[in-house]
Amino acid sequence: MANNHLTGIGSESKQLATWYFTFAAILFGAQLLFGLVAAIQYVMPGFMFEVLDFSVARMLHINALVVWMVFAMFGAVYWLLPDETGIETVGIKIGKLLFWVFAAAIVVVVLVYLFIQVGPADEMSIWFIHEGREYIEAPRWADFGIVVVALGFVANLFLTGMKGKQTGIVTVLMADMIAFAGLYLCGMFFTDNISVDQYWWWWVIHLWVEATWEVYVGALAAYGLITMLGAHRKVVEMWLWIEVTMLFGSGILGMGHHYFWIGTPEYWWEIGALFSALEPLPLVAMFIHVLYDWGKTQGEQDAQGQELSVIRNKPAFTWFVLNAFGNFLGAGIWGFFHTLPQVNLYTHGTQFTSAHGHLAFFGAYATILIGMMYIAIQGTNGIKIMNHTRSSIWSVSLLSGGMMGMTVALTIAGYVQVLVSRAQMGATWAGYFDGQSGMWFAQAMDWRLIMGLVMFAGFALLAKDFLTTGKNPVHQR
Amino acid sequence: MFEPFVDVVPSFFGWLNQGPLTLTIFLHTVIILPMIWIYRQEKKRIEQEEN
Amino acid sequence: MAKRSVWSDNRFWQRSAAWITGFASVLLIWLTFDTMAQITIGTDEDLKNGVTKRVPSPTVINYKITYEMSTKRGHEVPIIGGNDGQGMSLFQEKEMFFGRDDWSEEEATELLHLGKLGSQVKNCMNCHTLLGNGAYYAPDLTKAWLDPQWGPNGSMQAMTGKNTKEEAMAEFLQNPSKYPTHARMMPNLGITAEEAKGLVAFLKHMSSIDTNGFPRNFGKIEGAVHGK
Repeated sequence: MANNHLTGIGSESKQLATWYFTFAAILFGAQLLFGLVAAIQYVMPGFMFEVLDFSVARMLHINALVVWMVFAMFGAVYWLLPDETGIETVGIKIGKLLFWVFAAAIVVVVLVYLFIQVGPADEMSIWFIHEGREYIEAPRWADFGIVVVALGFVANLFLTGMKGKQTGIVTVLMADMIAFAGLYLCGMFFTDNISVDQYWWWWVIHLWVEATWEVYVGALAAYGLITMLGAHRKVVEMWLWIEVTMLFGSGILGMGHHYFWIGTPEYWWEIGALFSALEPLPLVAMFIHVLYDWGKTQGEQDAQGQELSVIRNKPAFTWFVLNAFGNFLGAGIWGFFHTLPQVNLYTHGTQFTSAHGHLAFFGAYATILIGMMYIAIQGTNGIKIMNHTRSSIWSVSLLSGGMMGMTVALTIAGYVQVLVSRAQMGATWAGYFDGQSGMWFAQAMDWRLIMGLVMFAGFALLAKDFLTTGKNPVHQR
Repeated sequence: MFEPFVDVVPSFFGWLNQGPLTLTIFLHTVIILPMIWIYRQEKKRIEQEEN
Repeated sequence: MAKRSVWSDNRFWQRSAAWITGFASVLLIWLTFDTMAQITIGTDEDLKNGVTKRVPSPTVINYKITYEMSTKRGHEVPIIGGNDGQGMSLFQEKEMFFGRDDWSEEEATELLHLGKLGSQVKNCMNCHTLLGNGAYYAPDLTKAWLDPQWGPNGSMQAMTGKNTKEEAMAEFLQNPSKYPTHARMMPNLGITAEEAKGLVAFLKHMSSIDTNGFPRNFGKIEGAVHGK
């Protein structure tokens, strides 16, 4: 029963999943690399000046982030679909073709970012260079490509879900992925009115990362608990529906916390403050749920007099537990820190946001997607019980330790900005640089760079583990 | 009893915003209250299934 | 058999999830219509008739803009063309923008269009913040037009050797690395004279957007850090 879940041999859908995971892992490396460039520039402003400026490095840093996560998310769906529906994914040939289209488009976009960087201020640049809108900078031609690829992916998912067994997890994924793909359309137009621009821009960014992606993570966690622990589907899916209720209930109108200061009416203060204040609740629920199911299945095992661990994939499960905690800590706690308008008036647009962004993306998404990659390695290598290796332990420690250190450093930098640049100096040009040159700020940036290097070392070990662990004799086959 | 309107343009939502929490409590209530109805329906269904 | 509870019933939660998601989405769409009506860009008529808009017409570049406390709103608001003493705009006092204060709606719209395009193509948002959103490597541009640094007594205007704020800003934008303001310099982005004009118009227009009092106390405090 359970073993069927874990084997990827012979499934084309799972093969496609491994392609997606591989490309995602490479982009994850690129993300860290450009992040390092940007981190160095905070410490040494002359570094690669007018060669690879901060704006370009950061654009690559955050775009690689979004794209590797989307790739890994698509991959994870292709991985779990045969297990959930009991059939091979419908239209897998088109799925495979679209993978190559997507990957090729990303490579072209990155090369243009790197070597053309900026163009003249006209529509042609928006169409062919980049759109200059944080996170969704992809040029307009690529927007259309992304829509086509996303539609193909959603079609694969829907046709498979309708033909095969439609479990609760698949139902949630179907509803969630269509919203995920559809929301992208909100970021595909140009307007002279920057308030309108940012209003719709948040429909993409917020409704992705604080609504549809979170629900996606809930579905993935449910799948992971069933496959890795043998948790009871009925209980897991009940939790999943509770999570969907709470995530969408708080997350959709929680969007108001981005509408405090962009020219939108004052009533968003209240809507944004109180709905988004509830956003941590489902994240707490998810954390409790994972630990509860773990304890419950282990307890059942122990009651039978067996002392074996119930976890069938230890590195993946480690990442899943880190996800449950990191999501709560990074998205929940660090998000709540500055979600009330009274606080946000001073923290908006400071390193505070950056601290939250780093820990939330890592805790909520990077962790669980890396976990899925381990599940894929287990499946493609026919491993029954997958154990930790030295590199898997070191990589998880360095990556999460580095991220935590970076978050603390950025939070301290954020405090300096809030107190000096904002509260004392009223946010002017002079105030900004007074804050930036403060000793606490400068030291925090040094620490951020050091922690970035720690993370990069963790990534190197992770890559090594991905490449070698499949054949490692420590696993039970 | 009602607070004077202060925002730039008067609107329904702006009017519901009568000081601390009025707007958000109203919205939370209209979102969550119908769950009582769903609860009653499901309770009836479960009772029927059990008999 | 124990009695089954509705609270642990999958169907109950599934239906609740569907209801809450659907209704929250409907509310969001309703709110969006309400907000869109309020943040649509105003017209020149509005300015002439003294109608306060959250996002005024591009012709706001013909007016003097300040950022002052409004007694009604309880925070600072952009004041266009003079203050009535209570923090409401009078829409009277004009201000030259590149030597003119009679930019027509068409001309001003074109300038703003160029500036907004420029702000995206030149990737401003991946170093600066605009309305507080973007990267944190360079100062927030929300009210940059009102920054005392660019004013008649500000060091930036003096540095470029220009006599007006808009000319100083345009000069800086075209040759940013010629005027290093800080160890962290702005790179040369190939901004032309015309694009710079558009960008300055975009910045002036952005400073007139009603951001509900963000950023607080902008340009009011000088030298507080060193206790002067």
